[in-house]
Amino acid sequence: MSYRAFPWALLAAIGLAGCNAQHPSTAIPAPAIHVGTQLAAEQVLSRTLDSAPPLLDPSLTTDVTTQFVMDDLFEGLTTLAPDGSVVPGVASSWETSADGLTWTFHLRPEARWSNGSALTAADFVYAWRRTVDPATRAEYAQALSPILHGLDVATGARPPNELGVTALDAHTLRVQLGAPTPYLPQLLTNMYLMPLYEPAIRRYGDDWTRADNMVSNGPFKLQENIIGSRLTLDKNPNYWDAANVKLQRVIYYVVEDRTAQAQRFLAGQVQFIMTLPTTDLPYYRSRLGEQVVVAPYFGTLKVGVNVTRPPFKGNRALRLALDLAIDRELIADRVLNGAGFPAYTATPPLPGYPRPIPQWAQLSVSARHELARRYYREAGYSASRPLRAELSSSSGDQGSTLMYEAIIAMWRETLGAQVSLHEMEFKILLQERRLKKPELFHDAWIGDYLDPYTFLEQLNTGFELNNSGYSNPAYDTLLDKANQQTDLQERYRYLAAAEALSNDDAAYIPVYYYAVRHLVKPYLKGWAPNIVDRNLSRYMYLLEHEGS
Amino acid sequence: MLRYTLRRVLGAIPTLLLIATLAFALLHAAPGGPFDTQKQMLPEIQKSIEHQYHLDEPLWRQYLHYLGNLAHGDLGPSFQYRNTSVNELIAQGFPVDLAVGGSAILIALLVGGSMGVLAALHRNSAGDHSLMGLAVLGISVPVFVIAPLLILVFAIELHWLPPGDWGGISHLILPAGALAFPYTAYVARLMRGSTLEVMASRFILTARAKGLPLRTIMLRHALKPALLPLISFLGPALAGVITGSIVIETVFGLPGIGRYFTTGALNRDYTLVMGITVLYGALILFLNLLVDLGYAALDPRVRFAR
Repeated sequence: MSYRAFPWALLAAIGLAGCNAQHPSTAIPAPAIHVGTQLAAEQVLSRTLDSAPPLLDPSLTTDVTTQFVMDDLFEGLTTLAPDGSVVPGVASSWETSADGLTWTFHLRPEARWSNGSALTAADFVYAWRRTVDPATRAEYAQALSPILHGLDVATGARPPNELGVTALDAHTLRVQLGAPTPYLPQLLTNMYLMPLYEPAIRRYGDDWTRADNMVSNGPFKLQENIIGSRLTLDKNPNYWDAANVKLQRVIYYVVEDRTAQAQRFLAGQVQFIMTLPTTDLPYYRSRLGEQVVVAPYFGTLKVGVNVTRPPFKGNRALRLALDLAIDRELIADRVLNGAGFPAYTATPPLPGYPRPIPQWAQLSVSARHELARRYYREAGYSASRPLRAELSSSSGDQGSTLMYEAIIAMWRETLGAQVSLHEMEFKILLQERRLKKPELFHDAWIGDYLDPYTFLEQLNTGFELNNSGYSNPAYDTLLDKANQQTDLQERYRYLAAAEALSNDDAAYIPVYYYAVRHLVKPYLKGWAPNIVDRNLSRYMYLLEHEGS
Repeated sequence: MLRYTLRRVLGAIPTLLLIATLAFALLHAAPGGPFDTQKQMLPEIQKSIEHQYHLDEPLWRQYLHYLGNLAHGDLGPSFQYRNTSVNELIAQGFPVDLAVGGSAILIALLVGGSMGVLAALHRNSAGDHSLMGLAVLGISVPVFVIAPLLILVFAIELHWLPPGDWGGISHLILPAGALAFPYTAYVARLMRGSTLEVMASRFILTARAKGLPLRTIMLRHALKPALLPLISFLGPALAGVITGSIVIETVFGLPGIGRYFTTGALNRDYTLVMGITVLYGALILFLNLLVDLGYAALDPRVRFAR
């Protein structure tokens, strides 16, 4: 009877598939893909996003995911090359005054909005004023604080028209800063500094971000947005460099579950996935080989230390003991499967920045552990009187749980410290940290812009995200001095001195620098891994291929 | 019957009010607010946003405000997806859940029903045992195991169906199939039991004695009474597939409201979570009513009590 044959076939299939997933090291390599040299006939790229963009208004959104979509829909004065370096965007050139406080940008006369209207300097003035205007209620309005009066406008102390941005003529924009900001060109690539098309916002109000109403100036324009499912972007023929944009369409699939992202890739539905789970890396490496891309990312995972309360308050020796007892190489290799790099500073590697790596990092692991035990005893702890503390982290990520368990085990084995892991919802962790309740806590940060300050600001006295409560006048002074420098090297020198101070104080415990983890089809070209992990579809194209 | 229906509908209002109140209280009791973000907002702006959403008002006033809007069918703006209303999100997501849930129930009834009848007709044969073994497997294996396995086999290995997304019929098959699994198994067991019971009754014996062919007996006489237990199962099951498809939606990346529900809860999107809770509550009440009415229509022994 046919009804009897069916279940066995299905069960056999399930059994086979199950074995495959159970033994990652013996994964069958995926069928080879033969890549040609000609462009594929159909230039449609499908990529994944880790979460749904909450809304597509460059002034209002703050999340990393939305930035990816904004990179395709809009373009600022500057933009990013495939390698992540800053290149001219709407502005073709710019000059800086001697004091570094006044920047003049020359806009491309050929720059257009997606509806064909000319893009002018006034569009930037309008957009930036809108972002800082308290009436707009932009969650990250303080991002514009480097611009003269930016913070005053955001807090309502000054009207928006006093913001330091002026249209000198249709194609010349003058930007005045409150302090020298050598990283301004990089900052200008961020979504909250994009130009906006005022007539659309005036006409449609909040609804201007809907596909039918949106007018944008980037390489692509919004075709469809199904919240929580997918966004479809079509090539913008009015983009000034449209001749060099090869993709006709980009589809972003929202897939929160990272294993599901990888499944979509294996099934051939997407050619580029945002994030692969660290725990599955060995399996995908053996199955997909070079289609797995792991590369440095501008972020650091730290264990935050609450220095406002015992046992860590005023106890540098204890903080150092915990710092030294962590074997970062082991964590990067064995726990993260290579998707992370040992960290000894808050700032990840940045060209030109002399990271102040502590001396002890040169020691062998056993020598470090010996030193850690000495500090532990010096702090007044021993086998009979062990440190008992709690580490607070957010729940929901298997990789993160494994890593913290490993760190706690290292503390236990090297020092005899008894630390327990307390996992909670991210929202609760945010609140607990703000109230300075946890003793040790998950403290990760992705740099907002390519400058050490984005990491170092967090230990500044009184800074709202200073979760550890660290306060050191010498540190604050060094940061202030750095912000007054017009020369980048001088700036870096002060920042490195400040960072060295906080390292020496063991004001936090750096564990690893983040890594991006993508799956990319071999026939997708025109992209490169970069430390800001922003890969503009503008440069990407698909080659002819057999197999998927 | 009309009076009965009316009474049930009116009786549902206090229940819904209770659900809305509980949802409101639980959500506001959870630590962390909708606008607590990793990047701390300027206090002025945070206050302004909270004012926009009435979060700066005393709780009782927020509650009355919410109930007032609810009475007009307005579930309010979503906090997480600013500029989008909860009504809009539900209007976008609910049809997806209906399509997936409805198809799953259809599959469960057709496949499970036939399995049950076949098993009953070949009682204690090898076929019966393997079908019922399969049913036990279907009930025991959770959906979050079935769904990725279906993707592995049909999307990744065989490339027959898409692994996720939403669009045409092809996008419906795997999620509906995965969701139908436990229900199919349950229906099969239920149907086998009720068919056996009916087949043993005297009127069937009479029919057989008259020499009617088995096919005619099954279709004309046995099927209708055997289906009765299924009806009472159908109401909760339909509510179950529609509200319980959160895992399926996550695995297949479907834009249904179950996903809004979970991300909404994590992001403290009060209005979105309350809106969906009330909708789910109303749905379950409505389906239960339908079942009771359906039962009365199919079984002449059931009467509406005063």
